[in-house]
Formats: sequence, structure tokens, C-alpha cells
Amino acid sequence: MAGNASHFKIRWGMAIDLDKCTGCGACVVSCQVENNNAPSMDGDDKLRTVNWLKVYRLENGKTFPDADVAYLPRPCMQCGNPSCVPVCPVVATDKNEEGGIVSQVYPRCIGCRYCMAACPYHSRVFNWFDPVWPKGMEKTLTPFTSTRPRGVVEKCHFCHHRWNMAKEKARKDGLDPMSLPEDAYIPACAEVCPTGALVFGDLNNHDHQVYKLAHSPYARRLLERLGGDPQVYYVSRREWVWKQLDNYLPGEDPAHGTKAKGGAHG
Amino acid sequence: MLETALKGNSRYWGWISLLLIVMGIGGATWVYQLNQGLTITGLSRDVSWGFYVAQLTYMVGVAAAAVMLVLPYYFHHYKAFKNMIILAEFQAIGAIIICMGSIVVDLGQPQRMLNVILHPTPNSVLFWDMVVLNGYLLLNLIIGWVTLMYQRSNMMPPKWVKPLVYLSIVWAVSIHTVTAFLYQGLPGRHFWLTAVMAPRFLASAFCAGPAILLLVAMIVEKVSSFRAGEEAKKAMAKIIVYAMCINIFLFLCEVFTAFYSGIPGHKHPIEFLFGAAHANYVAVLMWTATALAAFSLVCLIPPKLRENQKLLPWALVALVIATYIDKGIGLLIGGFTPNPFEGFSFYAPTLPEIAITAAVYAAGIFVITILYKVALSIKEETAA
Repeated sequence: MAGNASHFKIRWGMAIDLDKCTGCGACVVSCQVENNNAPSMDGDDKLRTVNWLKVYRLENGKTFPDADVAYLPRPCMQCGNPSCVPVCPVVATDKNEEGGIVSQVYPRCIGCRYCMAACPYHSRVFNWFDPVWPKGMEKTLTPFTSTRPRGVVEKCHFCHHRWNMAKEKARKDGLDPMSLPEDAYIPACAEVCPTGALVFGDLNNHDHQVYKLAHSPYARRLLERLGGDPQVYYVSRREWVWKQLDNYLPGEDPAHGTKAKGGAHG
Repeated sequence: MLETALKGNSRYWGWISLLLIVMGIGGATWVYQLNQGLTITGLSRDVSWGFYVAQLTYMVGVAAAAVMLVLPYYFHHYKAFKNMIILAEFQAIGAIIICMGSIVVDLGQPQRMLNVILHPTPNSVLFWDMVVLNGYLLLNLIIGWVTLMYQRSNMMPPKWVKPLVYLSIVWAVSIHTVTAFLYQGLPGRHFWLTAVMAPRFLASAFCAGPAILLLVAMIVEKVSSFRAGEEAKKAMAKIIVYAMCINIFLFLCEVFTAFYSGIPGHKHPIEFLFGAAHANYVAVLMWTATALAAFSLVCLIPPKLRENQKLLPWALVALVIATYIDKGIGLLIGGFTPNPFEGFSFYAPTLPEIAITAAVYAAGIFVITILYKVALSIKEETAA
């Protein structure tokens, strides 16, 4: 139903190395600060927090000495074939801008949560509570993103404002804003990651590191077989980790994952 | 004509007051929800639609009861339904008011709901749902009201009503189909991702809707001089039992597909619903629904039992509860549980959610009561 993403000249995407991620949570914090997510009313209730990026803990289910864990940071997948976009009854979300980022128009969203029902990744969060910054905390607010009221859905947009700023800077410097140098635009999470697990760039640009990582034999995508064509890739050399990225039948071999392809399929 | 609703006996006013009280309590709870947000509900990231949307799903079916009577009456000139037609059309109006009310209370930002019209999106099924629900409301309002106006002057309804009636028959099918499409096009929700979703909606609507209508008609007969007619009642019971059999057949098709193919995504929600995995109160409800559905079929299939007027109301009540649990609660919670990562999150409606829903129902029933009062007063007036 949704438009095909392959017509974008630039397709912003991310490759996340699950073997490098230590689960420190710096990406979560930087995302929350950058995008003015209010402190959680009840951080314990993971089903009602408003984090755009969450880190999940994966376990291989074995006991010592074979026990192993991996941490999986999960931003919005910015699907090439998003299920959330066509369902929105008020065009509050779209994937129509060069770059292939799925947008969200907070002042227009009516809070019907149809997109949440459609998104298989739980990438979309609903504001269950009024956003409240305890006294003093309002100083952490950034001028980059508007705050959102209670009752609307919001989501990760790869710090889209940073792309705007990078394009502006390029114009000022007399460069082409549509062919930025590799690191001119990166989201807050990727910028702050201390282990370099989060790599951001243009999936269509063969010179970008993210292109190479996405085409590595160790790259997989989350619930890839639903056909959403996510623009976020997960890299791991551990087979048990791959198994948790999609729903496999018992005995099914996740080793034959599909390699990175452009455009939508499925 | 509306003035006829202002004259009634104490029982009528008692009923009206009761509805107003329920609307008042639920309305106050809604103000509380507007103030606090949807955090007062049991909804969460994993089960983002619940009790409210379940009412939309179920009442869309009830609205369609009209078509099961209008179609035989107009297409096949089945005159036995003559008296029932107006009740069916007015019940549809109330049911749609409940549907639309359920959507409004489910919104996080209800004050922005007109954005659906300001930013029309033909690719969103929810937009079409708004269109077909409002259209069906308008059609039934015009058809019912105009017919009644002419009846008051002992005249046949004008010719231009007929095309609207034919349109309403097709339109009734569209409201289910579109509401089913709300669910059945989402790639990550296996329980809903099935081609028989829309047919199931039609089948369950065509049994539950007429069942409620028949029960209501029985009550109206008790409190007024209205008579549905024995033949009409028998015919309705037949329609109900055929539709219920198809409804259960389609559900069993789902069970076969899931378990014979062994596709985990299809199996898991059904296993959850019937308590084979992470059993909770939903499993109790689903088994209750199964028992009630079986009971209703046992009472409705043999003609001897079906025509037993003492047993019929009980069979209908059982059928209504069974379809309500299956198509309302079960469909919604089963669609979200387990989530796409095979995780289980608990959902149960909270007290405020139930109070607000009760008010939405009371509002719909209030409108139906007023419209029935007008219709019955005019019938008595012209008969005198």
C-alpha cells in the first residue's frame, strides 16, 4: 500500500553492531535529551514510557558458562514499505521526503493509535501522560524539537532537524546540500555511542560505511520477513542473536538471511 | 413529530432518567479522562486499542440488523417485516451513534477529530470508516424519518426514498467490510491478517444484530401496543440461526488454517485466547462464549425449540453475549496478544473505561428510545 522507497536518491539508514553494543544506554539518554522527551512519570512501566529509542536485552537462555547476552538498541526502522503510514487517517505521518525518513506531524495527530496497531516494532509511542519537567529540569530542553502534548503519537525521525542544520551549513559553505560529507549529518544516538556500535549514513551511497555494513553477510533486519523493508540493519556474528531478530520455526536456519537490497519487497 | 417523545407514562420517564444518569456518570468520567489522558485506561504500548474500539467493532454489526429486514422487505416484498422495518432502521441509528462515540472517546486528542475531514486520506481505512458510518447514519435517518412523516398523513413514502433504501442495503455491507479492513490489512497482526475477516464480520453482524433487534422488539411488545407479528419473529429467528452457523463455520475455518498449517503466528493468538498459553480472564470469557454459542445453536437449530417463545429470548441472549465476547473483546485482545515479538502483555479495561463505555451505550440507547417513542406514537395515532 505504501509508496516504494526506492525512488529516493538518499536513503538514510543505520547499521547497529550488536557485538559492539554494551547496553550502556547512552543512545537512549542522548535521544531523550535531544528530542525533548519528558522524564518518565513511571520509568518502571516500560509499556508507557515515551522513549523513541529503546535498548532491549537479549539472552541465549543458557546457563553458565554458556550464558550470553546481547543488547539491541531499537530506533524507528524508517521502513521502506511502512505499515504505519497508509493507515493514518489525518496524514500526520508520511514517507514522502527525500532521505526516506518516516515523518510525524504532532500538531495534526488525533491520537487514534492506528499507527501503533500497524507498526510491528513498537517504534511509535503514545503520550499517555502530560509532559512535565520537574523544576530545574526544564533547563535541559533543547531548541531543536517542539515538545508534544499528551494524547499524540510520536516517534524517532533520525534527528531530522540535524539534517536540516547540516543542509543549511552546506548551503552557507557553498556545498551541495544533497551530497553531504559522510559525517555531516548523524543522529544524536549514533553520535554519542561510545563503542561505535551505531553507524549512520546513506544506504544508497556505496562509499558510506553504513552501506558496507548493511551488505555484510552478518547483517540482518528486525522482523524482516514481514516485508516492511526496514532501513535499520543489525550486525552480529552470533547465530543465536540472529534467531531473535525474527520469528523462526524450530530448526529453521537463520543463516540464510537476505542481503541488503534497495527498495521495497514483500 | 419529535413532540410525541415528550408525552409518556412514568415507566417511559423512568427509563429516560436512568439513561440520563448513566450518561451523566460516564460523561463525568470522560471529563476525568480528558483531564488525565488515556492513562486512566488499561491500554499500553502493546495493546493500544482495547475496550473502546471493541465496542465499535461489535456495534457496527448491530447497525446492520436493518439490512436483514430491509432486504427481504424491499427486494422480495416480504410483507411480514412491515412493522419491524422502522425499528430496525432506528436501531441502526443508535448503534452507529455508539460506534462513533466509541471512536471519539478512544482518541488521545478528540478536539482534533475533524482533521479526518480537513486532511482526507483515501488510503486510510479509518477515513473510509468515518465516511461509511456517517453515510449509513444519514441514510437511515432520512429513510426512517421521511417514511414516518408520510405515514402520519396516511400516505405512502415518496418515490425518491426507494433508491435511498436500495443504497442503504449496499451501504450496510460496506460498513462491515470497511471496519473489518481496519484490521485485516496489517502485516504484523497475524490474528487479523486473514481474508475471512470481512466475511466473519458480516456473518456475526447478521446474527447478532437481528438477535438484539428481536429481543428489543419483544420488550417493546411488552411495554406498548406494538406487535411485530408471529411470522416476522419466526423469519428473524431463522435468519439469526443461519447467520450464526456461518459465523461459527468461519471461525472454525480460522482454527483449521492455524493448526493444520502449524504457522506459529496464526496459532499463538488462538492458543492465548483459549488459555493454552499465558491464560488469563480472556480465556474464561472465550470458553464462556463457546458454551453460550453452543447453547444458542442447540436452542435455535431444531424448529421445535426455535419456535418455543419461552426459550427463544434465552437463546438470543446467549447468542448476543457469545458474539460480543468473540467479536469485541476476543478479536481486539487476541489481535494484540501476543505482540509481534511473541511477548505477552496484560490488558483489562479499567473501571473508568467501563463507565465511559456505558455512557456511550446509554447515549445510543437514548436516541433509539426517543425514535421508537416517536414511531410507536405515530403508529398508535394513525391506527386510532
